[in-house]
Amino acid sequence: MVGSPVLLIAIPLLAAFLIPLLGMIWKELVRIIPGLVLAYMMILSASLLYYVLENGPIIEVLAGWRPPIGINLVFSPFTGFLATIMTFLGFIVWLYSYRFKRNVEFEPSKKYFIFLMMLVAGSVGIVLTGDIFNQFVFIEIVGISAYALTAFYTGRNAAEASFKYLLMGSLSASALLIAIAIIYSQLGTLNMADIADNIHLMDPRFKVIAMILFIVGLGIEAEIFPLNGWAPDAYTEAPGPIGAAFAGIVVKAGVYAMVRMVFTLFDVSGAVDFLLIIGLITLIIAETTALRQEQLKRMLAYSSIGQMGLVFVAFGIGTTEGIFAALFLMLNHAIIKPLLFFSGSYLVFNSKDKKISEMNGLGKYMPMTAAFFALGSFAIVGLPPFAGFWSKLSILTAAANEGMLLIIALILMVSVVEIVYYFRVVNRIYFFKFDKVTSVVPHKPRINAVIAMAVLGILILVIGFYPDAVTGVLHQASDDLQNTQQYINNVLSVGQTLTN
Amino acid sequence: MEMIYLIFIIFLGGAVATYLLGKINGVLRDITFLATLIVPAVLFYTQVSIGQTVDFSMSGMNLQWGITDFGYIFAYIVLGLGVLAGIYAVAAMKGKENLGFFYSNYILSIMAMMGILFSRDLVSFFIFWEIMTWSSYLMVVFSGKDVQKVGIKYFIFSAVGAYAMLMAIVTTYSLTGSMMIDSLVTAYPGFDFSMQLLIPILLLIGFGVKSAMMPLHVWASGSYSHAPMAYTAVFSGALSKMGIYGMIIVIVSLVSQIPEGHWFREVIAWLGGITAVGGTLWAVAQDDAKKLLAYSSVAQLGYIIVGVGVGTPLAMLAALFMAVMHGLFKGTLFMAVGAIEKQTGTTNFTEVTGLIRKMPLTFLASLMSIIALAGIPPLGGFIGKWMLYESLVGSDHYMLVIVVFFSSTAAFLYCYKFLFGFFLGQEEPEWAHVKEAPAMMVVPMIIMAIGSFILGVFPGLILNPIDAGLQELGYASTQGRYWEMSMLFNEWGDKVVLQPILYTIIAVFVFFFVFVVAKNFKKTRYVSTKDISSSGEIPKAHENLTFSRGFFQPFLRAVEPLMKHQIDPLYTGFGRGMEAIFDFVRRIYTGNGQTYALYAIIFAVLLLIFKNQLFGL
Amino acid sequence: MELLTHILGAIATVILAFVVGMSYGGIVRKITARVHNRIGPPWYQNFIDAFKLYGKTTAIHHGWMQIMGPAFLMVSSVVTLMFIPVLTNGGWFPNLNFEGDLIFLLYLMVFGPLGMALGAGQTGNPNSAIGVTRGLSQMVGFEIPWVMALVALMIQFDTTSITGLMEAQAQSGTWNMFSSPFAFIAAVLAMLGMFRYSPFDIVGAPTELASGPVSENGGKYLFTMMSSGSIFAFVKLTLYVDIFMGGADNLVILLLKTFSIYMIPVLYGIVSPRYRTEQAIRFFWGWPLFFGVLALIYASIF
Repeated sequence: MVGSPVLLIAIPLLAAFLIPLLGMIWKELVRIIPGLVLAYMMILSASLLYYVLENGPIIEVLAGWRPPIGINLVFSPFTGFLATIMTFLGFIVWLYSYRFKRNVEFEPSKKYFIFLMMLVAGSVGIVLTGDIFNQFVFIEIVGISAYALTAFYTGRNAAEASFKYLLMGSLSASALLIAIAIIYSQLGTLNMADIADNIHLMDPRFKVIAMILFIVGLGIEAEIFPLNGWAPDAYTEAPGPIGAAFAGIVVKAGVYAMVRMVFTLFDVSGAVDFLLIIGLITLIIAETTALRQEQLKRMLAYSSIGQMGLVFVAFGIGTTEGIFAALFLMLNHAIIKPLLFFSGSYLVFNSKDKKISEMNGLGKYMPMTAAFFALGSFAIVGLPPFAGFWSKLSILTAAANEGMLLIIALILMVSVVEIVYYFRVVNRIYFFKFDKVTSVVPHKPRINAVIAMAVLGILILVIGFYPDAVTGVLHQASDDLQNTQQYINNVLSVGQTLTN
Repeated sequence: MEMIYLIFIIFLGGAVATYLLGKINGVLRDITFLATLIVPAVLFYTQVSIGQTVDFSMSGMNLQWGITDFGYIFAYIVLGLGVLAGIYAVAAMKGKENLGFFYSNYILSIMAMMGILFSRDLVSFFIFWEIMTWSSYLMVVFSGKDVQKVGIKYFIFSAVGAYAMLMAIVTTYSLTGSMMIDSLVTAYPGFDFSMQLLIPILLLIGFGVKSAMMPLHVWASGSYSHAPMAYTAVFSGALSKMGIYGMIIVIVSLVSQIPEGHWFREVIAWLGGITAVGGTLWAVAQDDAKKLLAYSSVAQLGYIIVGVGVGTPLAMLAALFMAVMHGLFKGTLFMAVGAIEKQTGTTNFTEVTGLIRKMPLTFLASLMSIIALAGIPPLGGFIGKWMLYESLVGSDHYMLVIVVFFSSTAAFLYCYKFLFGFFLGQEEPEWAHVKEAPAMMVVPMIIMAIGSFILGVFPGLILNPIDAGLQELGYASTQGRYWEMSMLFNEWGDKVVLQPILYTIIAVFVFFFVFVVAKNFKKTRYVSTKDISSSGEIPKAHENLTFSRGFFQPFLRAVEPLMKHQIDPLYTGFGRGMEAIFDFVRRIYTGNGQTYALYAIIFAVLLLIFKNQLFGL
Repeated sequence: MELLTHILGAIATVILAFVVGMSYGGIVRKITARVHNRIGPPWYQNFIDAFKLYGKTTAIHHGWMQIMGPAFLMVSSVVTLMFIPVLTNGGWFPNLNFEGDLIFLLYLMVFGPLGMALGAGQTGNPNSAIGVTRGLSQMVGFEIPWVMALVALMIQFDTTSITGLMEAQAQSGTWNMFSSPFAFIAAVLAMLGMFRYSPFDIVGAPTELASGPVSENGGKYLFTMMSSGSIFAFVKLTLYVDIFMGGADNLVILLLKTFSIYMIPVLYGIVSPRYRTEQAIRFFWGWPLFFGVLALIYASIF
């Protein structure tokens, strides 16, 4: 073992405090250190994941308090897989935005990098923690960084978007807090494994109210309909890479929390079906809304919401195959959507309104960026031989095995809508005439951004041509989530060993 | 290494290399492009044997590639047309922008089609199918004309088709636990009746879109005419045949196993008949050669679908023979249009006339192909049509034979329009500068025109592999019963021997040619087309007497009731309606934070109210 | 030796067709004149016209395709003639009769007109092209009932060969025009269009189009067209006689039968003014189509 999962949270938090101080020594350190931290986190979680896949989950007890009383981190194939994606993306986002706002003053960039790091650390914390109150705290850390990053440009729109996010975020926080309070009052524990072990003892009336509050609270983070009103604004107004981070990291954490709650914490039978229904509604509404968007980032935001809906549909199928498909989709989405955000924000870099109609003919002047955008579009709508195809195929096979033909039909119909709006953009970029009056002035991406995009693009191709590269991990991760009893045993047994 | 892998690696690597070289050096790019087409074709014909397979596993599914006798027929079309149109493309596209992109897409299309023929399992079939779809889509929008309308329409239809297919594929997988096409065929009779219906219907939607079967054809006219002609030759000639390929598998291998399959066949055959008539009538109405040929392709595919739907051995023989022929002559015609477009800059009959003396070789190729298209003996088109009629009469499809005959008679109209519009009529000074297209464009056209002549005289050359392919599908060998090398027998024992016919025609033709035409041609002198008797006066040089507007107006007036009902406005209306609904949905996101908070609270309340129904507590 | 017989027979057939077709044309001119209360030309006027045309020299051409047009037409007429059984048992005219088939014949018959249409197209005379478009449009019109009639016969006798149909009539002893009356009616109505007499003379339309497709041709070319037209008329008449009237055992019966059937379009034409193109097409898709459908139903039931 290379290190402890605790470091994944401790190091970035520590660095966040140190960066302002180090920045006084050399301004460049403010940019470099987050990168080093994120790279370290990425390597650490990847090697931990490798270890975990071989040797079974790591349960890390914090401060010597044993579960169920103390706080513990669970680095299992499932959580480790998500943590690896997140740290990887965090690093990629850093790489992309390394020279971001190079020419602006020191203060905003300092904030930017610190908050970015906090965002990643908080999201990893949400995924790894084994304690619901601790999770709540991490959600708040993520939330605060996210609000700040949304308002980064300090314009009127950014402030409004940030405020909306804040408003919904506080609703979420209150709902979660009440839910946690209910559970604690009923079961006297905050440890997830312990709660899961004893949930059958809980009064059904309280149980369902707690669960509904959880659904509302976590649903806001996981962007389910109709709790996702904040998302399009936040994605649009935040800087491009932060949009990518939201889509790739923050939402994944929300989805994780939601899924953990439904699959592990509660034993409510209808909850999985509920995920299916709500996912389907989210998918349909978001994708249809995306079709009529005029701004690029807003379109990407709705598409991202729609994808999360699809993830919930896959989870809602309830079988191991369904979970496998959902994880696959999360992985693909975490690779593809950032690529779209990255390339998209360069495509509309010089535009004020960020309108899709301003992108005519850019393909000729920004061949690289446009190609990455096209690749992302092809991949996300699920065209083979790109990554998105395999996740779509696995969702459909999972649904077919459960005989859900109507759902397959709905997913596919929505996919057609998705194709329409993505291809409209790709068409504009490549096959429209460049027009000096209406088109955006092209802006060449910087080398670090190109590398970041290239890494994602290559991953899309690798997964597309050789899906077996990731399916092994995904299978283990999905088994891990499915097997609640093993999760409980793992965590609680650590408590026992420590007692003994 | 397995040769099959090597072929695909060459294709893929060639596509990438061509694209990259396109940025560096034009000549190198062209050479790579042609090599990438020719080398796999040679490898395929020399190194890959029928029945040879490779197995591998991907994402937990077992996949298998290998070519069958049946696929081999289509491989002739794909590779033959692919190489010839590729040679043509190098000359035709010279000087255009973004050629690396064009070429690599071209290669990807060919690769995808070969992949479809190689796929013995549904997943690789679907993957190649989609690659084919998007690469052809990129070709449709390559010109940048009407991208959002024509291109998106093509892709929507393709996507609907492909997703219908995908749904069938995953359903199959859940029912059989295997992705193999063979296991689907084996397990099919054991399915529920609802599945027995659902799976073929879904698959046929997918294949119907590609083969432009009504009512799924509306994308065809725009897409065929917007893609560069060098690609449209492949698009219409080979790519549409992939729909036929799949359709034959569904019709013959799947639904024929159940008694209700009979109705499937009838419906498909009639849809094919309607497609043929509609396509022909709309082709007659077009003033643009590209559109005309596009609709004509729809109509020709209609005949093939009729043959597939009828499904007797003779009908299948006819359908597959026509598929090969259609690849030949329609490829040539699209190439000819491309040549004319390159030399004159337009493809509109109302603009360009009298090219026969300027582009004689293009005219010759077009003439041969038109004769083949119209189904006039002794060129190959006739053999296919003849077998189709015989099979229709023989299998008691009396009304259908009338429908097909109507469409094929009406086809003469647009055939003449094509030849007259471009090559005949008044020679206007505006086009005096036009020269014959470059040799690299003309030679493939001539080769293919000669090909359709050879197949007309020796149909056995291609009927032999078709027969093998049909045996693969479970038909009894037709050899000796229906045909022999260069000789045709009809089903009731009467025979038409083609060779005496050919000799007679040639003898009489030579007689008249030598003694009347050639003799007089030397004796007489050429005068321009202005030197004519028009109402007793000789028209002046600037007077444009070309007859090209409203060419078949009286005919179109007569068939107006048939053409009044179009399906395209329905689709457009549906699309608009959907967009309006989506716009309404969009208003859910008001942009107002208070509303969003309200949504959250309403959501929580609703969950609380319906908690019993939702969570069963 | 056999080959020689074939060749001589073929030449004899062509001469016969030429003479009969030309004479019929002359007789029709006479009859028309009489109905119009004129004296009219003698019955051999067509021969005089033809040979006069043949004697003329042509000075100009508009290109290869133009002078190929008449050749196409002639080739088509002669080749079609080769496939028509002139007499029931071959007799003096042992052509390729026993290898013919109706569908093949249908397509062979359009070979010539289309080649001719191309020739007419190259002259650049707009009247020619208009004539061609009219002719093609009309062809689509009358082919439908005509094919319906033929398909009805094919169904009834399970054969697509002309000789097969003739044998069937010989066996049953009744002519097809009685045993399948609806097919006969449809075919005869289609014949009105096929012979292009008034009211279906929209292709040549003397007063409108200055004789349409042929307008730029003269001399030997016009002779070729005229003679091939006569041969073609004979071909069509013989075909009708073969498939509906049991064929003919000797020349006298053949002439009687063909002449009587020829009178249908001629007499109908004399008293009718000219249709517009779309009216002509719609005419064929009215009653002829109805009878065609009746014929098909009749044939598939009995």
